[in-house]
Amino acid sequence: MGVMDQILEKAVEEEEAVSYDVLVVGGGIAGESASLDLADMGFKVLLVEKEPSVGGKMYLLSKVFPTLDCASCISTPRMAAVSHHPNIILHTYSEVLEIRKLSESDFQARILVKPRFVEDDCTGCGQCEKVCPVVVPKEYDFGLRGRKAAYIPFDTAVPKKALIDLDHCIFCGQCERTCPVGAVNFLQVPKVVKVRVRAVLIATGYELFSIERKTEYGYGKFKNVITAMQMDRLLAPTRPFNAVLRPSDGKEPSSIAFVLCSGSRDRTLNNPICSQVCCMYSVKQAQLLMGALPLADVTIYYMDIRAFGKGFEEFYQQAKAMGAMFVKGRVAKIEETENDDLVLWYEDIENGGRISKAVHDLVVLSVGLKPNSEIVEVFKGEVLERDELGWIRSRDENVNPVETSIKGVFAAGCVLGPKDIPDTVLEAGAAAAQVAAYLNEVGV
Amino acid sequence: MSPNRRIGVYVCWCGGNISDVVDVKKVVEVISKESDVVVAKDFMFMCSDAGQRMIEEDVKEKKLDAVVVASCSPKLHELTFRGAVTRAGLNPYMYYHANIREQVSWAHGNDPAEATRKAIRHIRAGVAYLRHAEPLKKIEVKAARSVLIIGGGVAGLRSALDLSRMGLNVYLVEREPFVGGNTAKLWEVYPYKRKGWEVIDSILKDLLGRDNVAIYTNAEVRSVSGYLGNFEVKVEIKPRGFRGRCEDLERVVSVCPIKVPNEYDFGLTNRCAIIAPPYPGAYPEIPSIDWKNCVKCRKCAEVCDQIELDDEVQTVRLKVGAIVVATGFRPYEPRQGEYKYGSSERVLTLPQFMKLVERSGGELKLGNRTIRTVVFIYCVGSRQVPSGDEKVNSYCSRYCCNAVMNLSVRILDRFNGLKLYHLFRDIRTYGKHELMYEEACKKGVIFIKYDENQPPEVLVSGKRTIVRVRDLLTEREELEIPSDLVVLVTGMEPTPNEKLNEILKLPIGKDGFYQEMHPKLKPVETTLAGMFIAGACQGPKDIRESVLSSSAAAAKAATLVLPGRIELEPFTALVDPERCNLSKRCVDECPYGAIQIRRYEGLGEKAWVNEVLCKGCGACVAACPNGAINIRGLTNVQIEEMIRAAGRE
Repeated sequence: MGVMDQILEKAVEEEEAVSYDVLVVGGGIAGESASLDLADMGFKVLLVEKEPSVGGKMYLLSKVFPTLDCASCISTPRMAAVSHHPNIILHTYSEVLEIRKLSESDFQARILVKPRFVEDDCTGCGQCEKVCPVVVPKEYDFGLRGRKAAYIPFDTAVPKKALIDLDHCIFCGQCERTCPVGAVNFLQVPKVVKVRVRAVLIATGYELFSIERKTEYGYGKFKNVITAMQMDRLLAPTRPFNAVLRPSDGKEPSSIAFVLCSGSRDRTLNNPICSQVCCMYSVKQAQLLMGALPLADVTIYYMDIRAFGKGFEEFYQQAKAMGAMFVKGRVAKIEETENDDLVLWYEDIENGGRISKAVHDLVVLSVGLKPNSEIVEVFKGEVLERDELGWIRSRDENVNPVETSIKGVFAAGCVLGPKDIPDTVLEAGAAAAQVAAYLNEVGV
Repeated sequence: MSPNRRIGVYVCWCGGNISDVVDVKKVVEVISKESDVVVAKDFMFMCSDAGQRMIEEDVKEKKLDAVVVASCSPKLHELTFRGAVTRAGLNPYMYYHANIREQVSWAHGNDPAEATRKAIRHIRAGVAYLRHAEPLKKIEVKAARSVLIIGGGVAGLRSALDLSRMGLNVYLVEREPFVGGNTAKLWEVYPYKRKGWEVIDSILKDLLGRDNVAIYTNAEVRSVSGYLGNFEVKVEIKPRGFRGRCEDLERVVSVCPIKVPNEYDFGLTNRCAIIAPPYPGAYPEIPSIDWKNCVKCRKCAEVCDQIELDDEVQTVRLKVGAIVVATGFRPYEPRQGEYKYGSSERVLTLPQFMKLVERSGGELKLGNRTIRTVVFIYCVGSRQVPSGDEKVNSYCSRYCCNAVMNLSVRILDRFNGLKLYHLFRDIRTYGKHELMYEEACKKGVIFIKYDENQPPEVLVSGKRTIVRVRDLLTEREELEIPSDLVVLVTGMEPTPNEKLNEILKLPIGKDGFYQEMHPKLKPVETTLAGMFIAGACQGPKDIRESVLSSSAAAAKAATLVLPGRIELEPFTALVDPERCNLSKRCVDECPYGAIQIRRYEGLGEKAWVNEVLCKGCGACVAACPNGAINIRGLTNVQIEEMIRAAGRE
């Protein structure tokens, strides 16, 4: 058990003090959008995010399909907006422990607010980061670079305040001595706040599929096999190396392969469904790579290209016209050569279905999405239902997809099923409408 | 002379979107030497909380009285930064947003040096603007707490229900005699075995009888005037021709001499000029005369006393705060001869085939012939490859793969001995729909992938229909499939709405669907304030996606009109009565009727601007011979000074 877990066990329970109209769980693009709509309608919103900053997964992406907007450019304002809106109270680095339905439109929630060991006086100047001697892999870069034990999650974090990772801290005290406003406080204690809310919206999103499980692809074993999320980080404006480099030797790759449906449409991994976004983000990354590395070849191994959304088919055709190669065939296995290049074995369907081999110096696994729906466990009394694959179950897919099995509890975004940003934002808007309608009907 | 200002300039990198082209450090260096500029800084994401906080702190510490941010388009972030300066204590209009991304770095990616110079000119103009800027106040107007919904398909109905439940008044206008749209015409839809009309019915059950909802069928919007919060809408309602239900409708229908294709089964059969409620639970439940085709022979009136053929068109005037457009789609209608459509009765579209299935008993039949083999050809009217100047649907219609997969599974369950061939390009059963594809495979559907450059051919000779196709999955083997029926898996096209488009002036995208404000973050908003788009009129969608988008549109409309008042931008025309010589040219020029002549004390009659109606277009400014009119926030002096500053070397 880590130091932090021991500390969290000693959380101080506070008396119930405040009530809100809505509790929104999850501060990604779905939770943010729905919170803002509800707050604009005049409802009081409590937004809880378990990470130290809001932003979710969208913030991590480079440019996004099909318009190639820079994801951080369009998501940071929404992150800032939730922290400035007078009708939104934001708890980051906090976890919902329990939600109990007492009666119609009356829920009691217990929320664990974890200590950052840095007081609110923090100005986000970053001095503590500079002096901290401990380096650990940075979560927001999926291990592509390090962060300190005293750190600000990323440049545009909201709130932009430092925190101390006590599990890795060596208690040297340098951050405490350096902080110009004396904000470091190792004596902070966790607290559990109790609130009453009239409705709940679940927007906890997704996790990336753990592609280590597909041992044939060698992720985690072969250095130059990375996930598409890592590639997105390599391409992002806040990228670690300011260039696209392959991990084993820091060389610019000259032949990049994308392996689609990694962890999706795969019964052997118990994930039979399509993850809905991988085709398009791979097509996008292919386009960005052709810009970043004009001499590199990009090959996409696919089963079907699912360019189904508005402007997607045109975006796919554009990638083809730019020179991305599309090979229909599922990759069976990947092998590593002596110089860390990779051999892909695949079924070359358009050429008679032969078993073929190709060598690439960087392989990107277009990993799928898995539900992040453990939140169902905090519901006491009534059951928040999930489907066989773990996604939150809609009460009625045709008529009202954002209603769940519990009246007064709604869901939006990837926790209901894999989806892209446009569909997530639509769902968030829809959830805001349903919450507002519900609150208006049940009255005060 | 203008007072000395204390201006802060903030140059954004926009990740690398700007800084990869524009030398932002150089821009900051040059601009910091401008007179009145107290501070100039650059930052990776100015719009982030950290960037905004930096500006706020500078305003307070350095006592700034105006701010320029040079970043993306003002459409994206002007409001963001006005918010930041307001929090710091400035008037929100002591702010200028210089667009150095869309207008500089993106436009001149191949010439960094010139792009950098252009960025400097943009910012200098912004500084000049602020030297002559004055604090402004927003105009507050009351908003009608009511919403107009155009279109009564699944999307419009969902929006109506949501808005009504939120406590707003809803007017729903449907052009056809019944609500329900395309959805009501569908057979069993995924993921439940529910019929299309049952989906509509479950929304209608909640909607009908609510006292804040009015539904007009046979009705069309004739004009829209006014502005956000206060639209005035004229709606024309054609009479139904029926006072109530008919005792013996079958007999009434039988006497009508008219025969036209029945749109409720996609032209599979004919109907007369009396449209009976086309499915169970149809609303309204009384029939309607089809005035376009009725010849007023009055034979029907002889057999039913409920019929009244001489009622007049009614006009209602509505006042609404916002408008939701949910005009949906129409199924792609193949060209005459496209895959022998129209020339062979054994070639149907997907919606027609659904109707055929719905009508069949224990056996699937076309006429007297039992159908054993069906060939489905995908992507008809979608993903078309451009050739020459001909306008094609290059988009994917999104729902068809799922729809045909669902249908195949259902008919294989229902009819024995069916053989189904699917001729596809890609199978796009995205997300959980993949499970339907899996099921179809298990049930023995045969999938054949064709190349878009070598599409299948339908050959008809005598009683035989053969589909010839090269299968990419078996080394381009040429196959000939004898078939009883060929089903063209047709996509979606925007509903033709020329008149409505002229009235609303909503922007339309390259694909013909309505264009949203931003494909990701503002999918239901449009560039017209107070007008929203919902459902398939924005782009192909299935039922689930349509209701989500209409609920989202309802949420956006509600954020505007629920509070009951709206703030409008203050960029309106202002008359200097002392300079006005009453030429009245402004009155003639104003396209919004916002200028009147009024008596000013001590000056007599002069021009006066109703600022609620004024849109700040500037036509009056240009027309005035005395230069007596200015636009607040964009005065003649400001424009001249900006040009001078931008032109300076």
